[in-house]
Amino acid sequence: MNRLKPVRARIQGIKKEALDVKTYTLSTESLPFSARPGQFNMVGFPGVGEAPISFSALVRENCFEHTIRSAGRVTGYLDGLKEGDELFVRGPYGKGWPLREAEGKGILLIAGGVGIAPLRPVIRGILEKRELFDTVYLIYGARNENHMLFTDEFKIWKEEILLFLTVDEKSKPHPGSPHRKAGDKWRRECHIGLVTDMLDKVTIYPERTIAFVCGPEIMMRFVCRGLLFMGIEPSSLYVSLERRMKCGIAHCGHCQHYGLFVCKDGPVFSYKQVRGLPDGLL
Amino acid sequence: MTGGNTFRKSKRLVPKDMLFHLLDSLRKKYRLIGPVLSGDQAVFRELQSSRELFMEYRTTMLSPGKLFIYRAKEDLFRFHNNEGIKIEEAPPVSEKQIIIGVHPCDTNAILYLDRTFMGAYKDPYYEARRKNTVIISINCLQVSENCFCSSVGSGPFLKAERGYDMLLTDFGDRYLMEIKSKRAEELFNIKGKQAGDRDMEIKRDIEKSVLKAFTKTISVEGLDGLFLRNMDHPVWQRTAEERCLSCSNCVLVCPTCFCYDLVDESSMDMRTTRRFRQLDACQDMRFAGVYGGNFRQRRSARLRQFVTHKLNQTVQYGVYGTVGCGRCITWCPTGIDLTEMAKEIRRSEKDG
Repeated sequence: MNRLKPVRARIQGIKKEALDVKTYTLSTESLPFSARPGQFNMVGFPGVGEAPISFSALVRENCFEHTIRSAGRVTGYLDGLKEGDELFVRGPYGKGWPLREAEGKGILLIAGGVGIAPLRPVIRGILEKRELFDTVYLIYGARNENHMLFTDEFKIWKEEILLFLTVDEKSKPHPGSPHRKAGDKWRRECHIGLVTDMLDKVTIYPERTIAFVCGPEIMMRFVCRGLLFMGIEPSSLYVSLERRMKCGIAHCGHCQHYGLFVCKDGPVFSYKQVRGLPDGLL
Repeated sequence: MTGGNTFRKSKRLVPKDMLFHLLDSLRKKYRLIGPVLSGDQAVFRELQSSRELFMEYRTTMLSPGKLFIYRAKEDLFRFHNNEGIKIEEAPPVSEKQIIIGVHPCDTNAILYLDRTFMGAYKDPYYEARRKNTVIISINCLQVSENCFCSSVGSGPFLKAERGYDMLLTDFGDRYLMEIKSKRAEELFNIKGKQAGDRDMEIKRDIEKSVLKAFTKTISVEGLDGLFLRNMDHPVWQRTAEERCLSCSNCVLVCPTCFCYDLVDESSMDMRTTRRFRQLDACQDMRFAGVYGGNFRQRRSARLRQFVTHKLNQTVQYGVYGTVGCGRCITWCPTGIDLTEMAKEIRRSEKDG
């Protein structure tokens, strides 16, 4: 079996999440694959290339979602696609978030920017079986409100988990932004400041808490240090890393992180595994 | 991969002529590959006759494993865009081949590539070639100035018991022929004197004398800790800024470097896209680049990645990435020597 062979996926829906971010609902004709929260697909198009993109929603009724910021060549191409268009995917790859390990414990979810996307399946998984977990916090930071994703889901999330939002700077709704609806309560609740500032807001029992962190590596660096100060063990602290990837199956070598293959051994690692490794910020 | 488990691990002394004669007759069914002299350089290439063989070669620029099993370039798919895209998969085909004269360092390098391409995920192209390749290794009697296999346990005599087919040791006009696979037992059914204890003693004596010829060494003990303690040692920046050209020669001649890039190439009419892979190098600036950053922006970080991937980072496969062939030293235009870098770090720890 050639694992580099992609399968055709059709775009069933596109939702604009923020200025440069869209959520694509995809279906595949043949693939009965199942993914776990934190895993990723290689998503792309012949002639353009492929990029590793995590699942922002898992497979349900043969559909799954990727939430993608238009940034490089591949994602820029995807940005120009319409409903009904096709693209190509292969996966799922990698190790996801250890949600089973969190059962019976409190969970601290911390996301920055598009780093919320790989955590969204975790949030949904928690909401489905809320009774399995203790207190759940989500701290989510973005550049400003116009860069926040999944804002229409905040209301549902808040019924079950404690949500803290923070932005680097306040901004008025952008004319093209989907957030123009008046009465978006979450806007008023946004703090101004770094994600790490929000750590003061949460009360945790370190020995009974698991933290999942995803965002820019420099953010994760300081969040992890903050969490260590709060008493969380490095082995109970998980991060999802981003690296350049070509194959997704530990062959092409691009994602190597001091002997670890981020695609196969990660992208989710315990902080214990990756703390202090060269060519990383953790 | 080398046939069933039930075979006689026979050891025989066979006249060289007889082995070469048999190899020539096997050319009907197998592509025969071995070391030949091309100018002053030995190279591995396909042979028309065993008479071309130059079995006493010292070293080659490229290893047989990365020439004939893991290819520098491999076609994967063709996407045909004709009212919807059709995927045509390049089938993993491979003719049967025999590679003779593989040194222990290069044999170990193939075993290393197996860990990448036949490990957790199998690569069908590599696997097909690997299975169709009969590997005849030869214990090395020709130590070059940059060889340090004896320091990392990969030579000059081969200790591995499986993963290849036959092991030769030069006994003058005869080879000591040690069978390591069932298919080798069937293919190389040559009459010869059974090797006895005395012959194995001679083999050990040859090995001892070869071991004396090494001038380059590295002490592998404690390397893991040594490098992790010295990630900011001045040797990285100084070597990178004064000598490293990021030319990637080290990576391309390395028999264990496995990294590749996936490349899409579209026809002018945009009707066909060819997706292939080709060797890539961590010394290349954009190798570890992501949107908005590059995890190895500095040349020193890229140099350190190569050196530590060979001498450290054993978490990956539980073995060292180096086989001590010394090619990265030989072919570095500015003579950067990873064993010297390790020694310098060690020295400064002692002095400090």
